[in-house]
Order: sequence, then C-alpha cells, then structure tokens
Amino acid sequence: MKNFVKNAVASALLVSIAGLPAIVDANVPLKHDSEYVIDGKIYGMPKARIYREDYNGPAVVGDYVTMVPYLAELDYEGNKEHEVRMDVFSQKVEVAPGVSYNAWTFGGSVPGPVLHVREGDRVVFKMKNRSTEEVVITKPFKGAAPYYSQVAQNQLQKHEPVIAPMPHSMDFHSGTVAANDKWATIAPGETIEFEWIANYAGTYMYHCGTSSVLMHTAMGQYGAVVVSPKEGYPTDEDVDQEFVIVQSELYLAEMDDSFIYDHTAALARDPSHVVFNGHVSALSENPLKSNAGDRVRIHFLNAGPSGTSSFHVIGAIFDRVWAEGDPRNTWYGMQTVLLGASSSATVEFIVPEEGVYKLVDHEFADAERGAAGALYAGPRKIK
Amino acid sequence: MTKWLSAMSLLVIAGANADPVIIPAGEYKPAVLLDESVDSVVMPAFKLDPTPVIYADYLVFTQANKNWRRDNIAAVFHDGNYLSDWPSADTIPAKRADSAITQVSWFAARAYCSAQGGRLPTLDEWEYASNYYLQQQGLSDKAYAQLLFGRHSNPTAYAKQSIGHDAEQLMHMHDRVNEWVEDFQLLLTNGDDTDLLAGSCGDSARFLTDYGDASYATFFRYQTRSNYRAQSTTSTLGFRCAYDME
Repeated sequence: MKNFVKNAVASALLVSIAGLPAIVDANVPLKHDSEYVIDGKIYGMPKARIYREDYNGPAVVGDYVTMVPYLAELDYEGNKEHEVRMDVFSQKVEVAPGVSYNAWTFGGSVPGPVLHVREGDRVVFKMKNRSTEEVVITKPFKGAAPYYSQVAQNQLQKHEPVIAPMPHSMDFHSGTVAANDKWATIAPGETIEFEWIANYAGTYMYHCGTSSVLMHTAMGQYGAVVVSPKEGYPTDEDVDQEFVIVQSELYLAEMDDSFIYDHTAALARDPSHVVFNGHVSALSENPLKSNAGDRVRIHFLNAGPSGTSSFHVIGAIFDRVWAEGDPRNTWYGMQTVLLGASSSATVEFIVPEEGVYKLVDHEFADAERGAAGALYAGPRKIK
Repeated sequence: MTKWLSAMSLLVIAGANADPVIIPAGEYKPAVLLDESVDSVVMPAFKLDPTPVIYADYLVFTQANKNWRRDNIAAVFHDGNYLSDWPSADTIPAKRADSAITQVSWFAARAYCSAQGGRLPTLDEWEYASNYYLQQQGLSDKAYAQLLFGRHSNPTAYAKQSIGHDAEQLMHMHDRVNEWVEDFQLLLTNGDDTDLLAGSCGDSARFLTDYGDASYATFFRYQTRSNYRAQSTTSTLGFRCAYDME
C-alpha cells in the first residue's frame, strides 16, 4: 500500500495552487491524482471500471468480511487498503420453516456479508454479476473470506445455487462517490471495480440500486458495512461481545409449490415476514451469547426496504446509543431505538443477570412476523 | 457427421416456426413514458413471429450462416458465452429443440431475423404487441403482473419450457424468455440517451402513467432489457422477429 501513498502535503500544495482551501490531514494517504482532502476526508475517487473477466474464484473475498451476526476483529493499526469482492448471484434461501424463495444476493446469503473497516480505510471493491452461474457458497474455498466457513457452519438458510440472469448494481451507503459512476448497473457476466474511502464512522447499509430498487432490495440484496471510528468508541475496552443484526422485510406470496416476490404487498408495505439476519429463527436457533455483567454491543441496521424498526431488548436498557454508529451522536438510557429504512444505531447494554433476553422490533406487528430473537446470558464471570 | 444428421432429423420433426401473425394497426398507451410529451403512440400494422425463435430453427441458421456458429462468431458480437449451452457448435442441448433459443446476443438475434427477411421488432412494436396479446388472452393486470414476477423469481425454469410451433396467434410473450428488441437501450443506459437520474434507485415513478402492478411489471421489463449490452447473452434472453407488411 505504501507504494500508493502520496504525501498529502504535496496534495495540499496542489490545492493551494488551484486557489482552494488547503485544509488537509498530513496523515491521510492519497492514491490517485484525482483525489483531494476536505476536513481530513478523501474525495475524488477515480472512475469505476466495467469489464469482463474469467473468474471462478470465491464469490466473497476479504479478510474482514463475515456472515451476520459476526464482526471480524480489526487486527491492524491505523488505516489499511482492503481488497474486497462480493459477487452478485441468485440463491435459494429459506427465510422461515418451509418458506424458501430464489433470492437475489450479494455473496449468496440474505442479508449479504458484513464488511468491517476502520474510518479512513480504503476499499477496492470488485463485483462480478454471476447471475448466469450456479455459485456454491456452502463449501470451503481457498482464498475466500471468513464468511464462507461461517456460512458452511450455519445452514439455516439451506442455500442452493439458482440461475436467474438479471442486471444488478452495488450502492454502498458508506461510500461518498458519484452514484451514476460507482453504483452503475452491470449486465450478467460483467465485473465492476471501484474504490471508496470509509470517510465516516458508523454502520451503513449496502444494497442493489438497480430499478426497481424496491424489488431488488426486497429480493435480498442488502447488507451492512461497519466502519469503526478511528479513535474508537469510549467504551471499547469494556465491551465483551460485539454483534451485527440486520432487520429486513420480505414480501413473499405462495405460487404453486414455491414462494415468489409479491410487488403488490411490497408497495402496500405489507410484509409476509420481518426478519433479523434473514430468517425468522436466525437469532433463536443460534441465539447471541454472553454472561451476566457483560457489556454487549450491537450494530443494528434496519435495511427495510420500506418499514421502520423499534429495536428493543426485553429486560435491558441501552446504556449508550450512537445514532448511525457515529461516536459523536451519543444518547444515553434508551429503552427503544427507532430506525427508518437504511438507518442504523450502535447500541450497548449491560446484561443484568443470567437469563434469556428477547430482542424484538417493538412494533409488534413486525415482531409477530418474525422480527424477534434472543440473547442467552450465562452466569457472571469475574474478569 | 452422425450428430449433424441426428440434429437435422430433429429439425424435420420440429419443423420451422409458424408463420408470422399480423399485428393490426392501432393506438396504444405505453405504461412507461420514454418521452413525457407522448402518452399515446399510433402504430402501423406489422407482422411478428407468434412465438420466440426456437433452438431447432436457430441451428438451421447457424448451419447456413457459418459466421454465426459458436466456433466462428466474431468476438465483438458476444460476451464470450454465445450458445455456451450447446454441447458443440453443431449440436443443440438435449430436449431443447422446441424451447426458446437463448445465449444469443443482440447482434446474433438481428442477424437471424435479417436472414429470415425480417428484423427485430422495435421496442414500441413489441410492447404494442404485448398489449394486444394481453387483450387477446383476457389476462387481467393482476394475472399479468403475477406472471411476470413469478417468471423473474425462477426464470430458468420458464425459459426451458417447450414452445408449440403451430401457433396461429401470439403466444408466450411473457412466460418463456425476455426478448431482444431493436432499440432496447432507450433509458437507464450509458449512451447519448442516458437519463442520469433514471439510473439511480427508486426513481421510477415519473416514468409511469400509473402505479398499478401491471405498470410496475412492465417497467421492470423495460429496465432489465435496457441494462443488457448488445453483446450480452444469458440463459433467459431470446427473441422473435418482426416483418414489415408487404
């Protein structure tokens, strides 16, 4: 990466010559001539490239890319350039007992993989539209992200490859770029490659931005990027467990022996299922685990596509809430966090005692359609 | 040689596509407004294949036009997967003789139609024919929308289904494959006709005359079709040909 790092002072000089404000952070690494810095944040990414490639490698690549509810540990100091790949393809997934549909996915699961980076990191992202292929994600693959082995160990969604050719795109809310360039739609067989900088800390949605975006997202194309603050959260040293939960609605109707997307229900905001981490039983079959007295942190994203979430942990109070996951947006002592579509919060609570803590969308029409899970707390352990 | 002969004998059984049907002149109101000042289009009569072109007929075309064989096609005319489901350049997949041909690029579809003395239908012609077909079939908006969304939920299964070759009226406009049209890249694209805002998410309402299920289903077809490249080939993308009236 060092080969690409340019001295920001040189950049500042160029900006000065251009007659623009020269406020830069000397520690921010620039890589391309097009880049510039405002308030320590990098803008001006080079154009996205769209091309065709022969690629049969793992569909998800990246050392810090995991399956929900896991979050990879950032085991490096300072900033880093991440090479991340999330191919787009179709996959049959189960979302409730006996209810499966042919989802459109990033990386094969619903929601897609979790990407963890640090504020200021650079992401070099590649995505091939492999909707014309049968892509298997349930077997180990050399060079694949940790996500692969986690999916292999958790077969709740009963993944099966499906071919469903369709144009798709990728829209990272964590990126600050020209959407018409970076979030461009690619045809089946094409690959798009672009870069973005994690300029802001927080938990961000990514999704397919191809019209009908309502259908593409409802079909399963969304996930979370967690951008940890450069200086951390003030409680970092006290946190015992850290999880990611993505809430979403599904709009499915039964047709013959299978389930298909129901656009009427989607427009009417009348979901057939509302789920945490892609399955009505995701956090019941595999509950989150902790111990009494632990400080638990959850990065909670409401992916929608259209509904709100009122996230609540039965028996606990959120000690801290950072709206959108930005450490500057601190709330204290909240019982419930209201999130609009594509909004997130990083919440923390103390597990009061041994027991079972239900996680719910306190909009009970949603909870009763699946938006519920559990955290199991063991006895207190002296630290 | 044996394979070639067996393929030809299959053709005798399958026969050629049925004769084109006449789509009578008329006026139609597009569900998707490509030009906000044009809410209805007057269409002259034209002829259209009653069904999508099938494998058996496409094999005859490649035998007669060597430049469109899989092992001979110019690289610029496809994305690398042209007829990739054929066991060999002379052999169509088993049990697919009377299914809609797929894995064909826009260039190949055009060449095929030209060789039949026809052409690809324009987008307006295809959509006008679709409206005509829906009326002919008595399909309600809801049934039509469910058919389209159902097919997109499992498109490969629909694409593999067979097609009768004695159709005397329009068939399989919505229950087999997506179909190429001549001017498929009209909106949401990167060419001169790009509407930048249309490419971003959620920005579809201003193109629609109403927000019913049928219009969304139709819009979805426009959008999907428009995001293919002329070189694109997929297992669910085929075509049928149009012809001018004599």
